[in-house]
Amino acid sequence: MGAQIQRTCRLFEKITNAKGGISGRPIQFIYEDTQGDPAACVRKTTELVEKRGVSLITGIISSGESLAVMPRLGEWNALYLASIAGVGSLTSTHFVPNAFRTCTSGPMRARTIAEWLAKSPKRKFFTIAQDYAWGKNSLATFEKLITDLKKETVGNVLTPLGTKDYSSYISRIREARPDVLYVAMSGDDATAFLKQAGQYRLSDRMQIVTEVLDLLNTKPLGNAGIGLHGISQYNYAYDTPANVEFVRAFRAEYNDIPDTWDGEAWQCLEFLAHGIRVAKSSDASAVRAALEGAEIDSVKGRVKMRACDHQAEQPVFVARLDKDPNVPYPTAKIIATYQSDAVIPGCRKDI
Amino acid sequence: MGSWQVWLNLALNTLAMASLLAMLTIGLTLIFGIMRIMNFAHGALYMFGAYAGISAAHFFENFWVGLVAAPLVAGLIGSVFELSLLRRLYKRDPSSFLLITFGWALALSELTRLIWGSNTRDVQLPEFLTGVLWVADEPFPMYRAFLIVFGAVALLSLAFIILRSRLGLLIRAISQNAEMTHALGVDVGVIRSLTFAVGCGFAGLGGYLAVPLITGYIGMGSAAIIDSFVIVMIGGMGSFIGSAVGSLLVAGTQTFGNFYFPDFALVITYILMICVLLFRPGGLFGEQE
Repeated sequence: MGAQIQRTCRLFEKITNAKGGISGRPIQFIYEDTQGDPAACVRKTTELVEKRGVSLITGIISSGESLAVMPRLGEWNALYLASIAGVGSLTSTHFVPNAFRTCTSGPMRARTIAEWLAKSPKRKFFTIAQDYAWGKNSLATFEKLITDLKKETVGNVLTPLGTKDYSSYISRIREARPDVLYVAMSGDDATAFLKQAGQYRLSDRMQIVTEVLDLLNTKPLGNAGIGLHGISQYNYAYDTPANVEFVRAFRAEYNDIPDTWDGEAWQCLEFLAHGIRVAKSSDASAVRAALEGAEIDSVKGRVKMRACDHQAEQPVFVARLDKDPNVPYPTAKIIATYQSDAVIPGCRKDI
Repeated sequence: MGSWQVWLNLALNTLAMASLLAMLTIGLTLIFGIMRIMNFAHGALYMFGAYAGISAAHFFENFWVGLVAAPLVAGLIGSVFELSLLRRLYKRDPSSFLLITFGWALALSELTRLIWGSNTRDVQLPEFLTGVLWVADEPFPMYRAFLIVFGAVALLSLAFIILRSRLGLLIRAISQNAEMTHALGVDVGVIRSLTFAVGCGFAGLGGYLAVPLITGYIGMGSAAIIDSFVIVMIGGMGSFIGSAVGSLLVAGTQTFGNFYFPDFALVITYILMICVLLFRPGGLFGEQE
């Protein structure tokens, strides 16, 4: 995921500086590897702020790292734009004025899936999620929504980060005999789980729906992943002018299509550039004021930054993994679109 | 699934995971047994071997080529390291080995990232390994069955070499008294180099075999090496049988633990390790030093 964000930042830097920068000033990204560790993330961000004068931060991957950094933003007079972190509390109970979320939140994605499944005749659900802030939040949100729909949760399991063997969890899932398995996992763990679920032919017995349907996880499945359903946070096939241009530039640079986190990072950088342009400054307070209520024409279409909790209002898509004659591996095809007002939680609400 | 079917399934999964863990741990214990070196770079070699195997398999479009290339490349890298750097430190304090293998682990990890980049990498299995075996009316992945058979054959072959061959006799003699073996005219340096290369080769082999389950990724070595150290402590430092039994115990506690007590599975493994260290500080099959 970090590699996707870095390559997108490099492309953004190259294109923006070729056009003369933002408000006539060139932009520069400084990269640090936080290793997914909240303590390391705080330490490295502190160094960037105090020693190198950084005031605009983005690209942090895990929700745990984001929540660790956020309380320090005020004293640093720095701004953080989350392009990946999904935990609901980032824009509710842990809200801080200097943090914004430009991507969809976990609760938005869980609500979308629940809305989509509401029409399904399937009644019994099992959830598997990663054992950290975002996974726990998604599990709780999804189970509450499913229960509200008068459907049954027949089990759940939280898996430690970095789990290598999922066979025991797969046995538990088979034992519970659900109609639908909801997967709230990302990164290498999601890849490993989906691969092993495929090896055990789990999808022959139940529908598998994942909260994050990105190429990073589905490419290793090859054609065996065809039919997998899930949330597509960003899709290379959106027919918006900004996305067509982004995909063209991305293909020219990397000879590949952009993945979920490329698109989310691009949208985040578009917001950031907009804030700096309007504020005519990179000062955190000025950019913050410019971003509250801002609307941009992003890769996903018209997206608005809600002023009351700093959550970007945007559509969420349900997709199915399928073949694309122009791409050598299966990609996510959108099968349903849910507008923001249908799935976004109330202001500073978790669900 | 009835309860006996669940148990059978969990037992088979235990064997498959034990096989993978043993590949990594046997190498670690072989090196420690004969050289008294705790090789902190073992996890990095596991990853490097996996990536080298994946590249070879892609290049020749053949999974089996990768299976041969992974241990060869990891063994070769190990040999170069042993001959060029490690050999100079044999007469120094043992802490030198910790520092240099730790440094080597960092360097190898960065080298892997430089050569192959940060993206995950995968390998295409042969058609027959992608299928399932039906065991008591439940599907069991063919690849896991292959791991069980391959692991058993590899470990038994190694056991045969160590316990029944002249080379094995020399390895055992050096691990017990290197000076005396040297005095009898054996070139201890060559045997040490060979053992180090074989140990590193097993790490690479383990890494490559893990790829169809977890996909190759930067950092896969650090995740695996922790289990490996736990196994070595349970089984006993330098004990071949200890490593095999330790792998079975750790795989068993994790597989059954994750099914029955998913919140405590890791804790159970560490409790097992603490109990062994309390009652047999040298491990189940090791000697207290």
